[in-house]
Amino acid sequence: MSRVLVGVKRVIDYAVKIRVKPDKSGVVTDGVKHSMNPFDEIAVEEAVRMKEKKLASEVIAVSCGPSQAQETLRTALAMGADRAIHVEVAGAEYDTLQPIHVAKILAKLSQDEKADLVIVGKQAIDDDSNQTAQMTAALLDWPQGTFASKIEKTDGALTITREIDGGLEVIKTKIPAVLSADLRLNEPRYATLPNIMKAKKKPLKKVSAKDLGVDLAPRIKVVSVEDPPVRQAGSIIPDVDTLVAKLKEGGHV
Amino acid sequence: MLTAILQTKYYYQKHKMLRDISAAIIRHTALSRRHLTPELVLRLITPECPLWRAKEGESPFRDPFWAFYWPGGQATARYILDNQDLVKDRNVLDIGCGCGAGSIAAAKMKAKYVLANDIDHHALAATHLNANLNGVLIDTSSKNLIGTKCEEFNVILIGDMFYDEDFSQTLFKWLIKLHEAGKTILIGDPGRHGLTEKRRRHVQMLAEYKMPRESQEENNGFTKTKVWKLNKLI
Repeated sequence: MSRVLVGVKRVIDYAVKIRVKPDKSGVVTDGVKHSMNPFDEIAVEEAVRMKEKKLASEVIAVSCGPSQAQETLRTALAMGADRAIHVEVAGAEYDTLQPIHVAKILAKLSQDEKADLVIVGKQAIDDDSNQTAQMTAALLDWPQGTFASKIEKTDGALTITREIDGGLEVIKTKIPAVLSADLRLNEPRYATLPNIMKAKKKPLKKVSAKDLGVDLAPRIKVVSVEDPPVRQAGSIIPDVDTLVAKLKEGGHV
Repeated sequence: MLTAILQTKYYYQKHKMLRDISAAIIRHTALSRRHLTPELVLRLITPECPLWRAKEGESPFRDPFWAFYWPGGQATARYILDNQDLVKDRNVLDIGCGCGAGSIAAAKMKAKYVLANDIDHHALAATHLNANLNGVLIDTSSKNLIGTKCEEFNVILIGDMFYDEDFSQTLFKWLIKLHEAGKTILIGDPGRHGLTEKRRRHVQMLAEYKMPRESQEENNGFTKTKVWKLNKLI
């Protein structure tokens, strides 16, 4: 049976209207509703289902971030993860935390915890990076199955259906492996009160990036964050001839 | 004169709060005997209650630990009911009483005095309701007694509290001091991570019980629960 490590990220809730800070350094996060990245919920759900099917022995949830990341970890525990590891990253270091750092952290933890499956969401809805799974696999030198919409496990091997441009691709990999969850992989369960309360008594360990030997120095600098351009008003045209003339005029045809 | 008026006003407000909380607890819980101590009927959130299916943010109560009968608490109460000599004619302090089962078991086994302690007022209201249902009288207090001398008490009950590492450390240090002062310390715990190898060297397991299906923690969780006595000082 596998030991599964699941990476979860605390992001601004998908339903919130994002506001850019006046100084263009980022978006407003203070006082804004946050939740678990939706693709990470799908990753947790898949890991818990593996445990229920006795394909996995233990599910460990990991999150990198400030103290509020523990709320996200408690949600993972309430969904059925067995224990959680909070890699505490706060303040300026958190503002510049990037997939390369998270990948190094997940790779180190996978080795320390003797996990043989790492599952993360395909991308986070705040940065849309879509890099963590791939980088983690490379660092560990493990095969990767990204954009997974179906995962089948047999002893020591995985059959993964991937969502790609143009359709579906089926690949086979050995275990250990790194997977990233796509939208259609599953429908995550809601955490209900009895499980939320049980989760409060499950182990949550706190570590630092330094403890793991990971350097959090940024490799990328954010120059500015801006709103998308405001959509220009259109005009109503009386007939097709006028439309063709306008298109030629604008150099579109 | 003014002090008397203010005290009465405070007393009335405190009682009104207790009445409101009790009404809310009654509304959201059901009577249950489906646990290790079916001799006791307890108000708990069970699968019959709408709150059993409540999602994050839908519960009117914050952290209702008292609405669930934890494996550690079940072990302690079971052991007391099976071993009357432990509490008979003695003064019992129940730390983190939750639904109050440990205190109620002690009162039923003819303890001289029982104090149920929890910092959550809802737990104390639930304890009063449950004590009434089981025909016993118990005192309650919301003061944080951890770290204090507890001179009036001979027996201390701890039900399922070793789930946070920092808290476990504080708790264990205090329990050892109380044990050194000659008190009986009873710990109910399924074997949570806070009951580390090192700490287990200080305790002796008194009993182990298989949990009823309803109380078993899902999948790889605990199927058995245990009660321990603090007795070896290193």
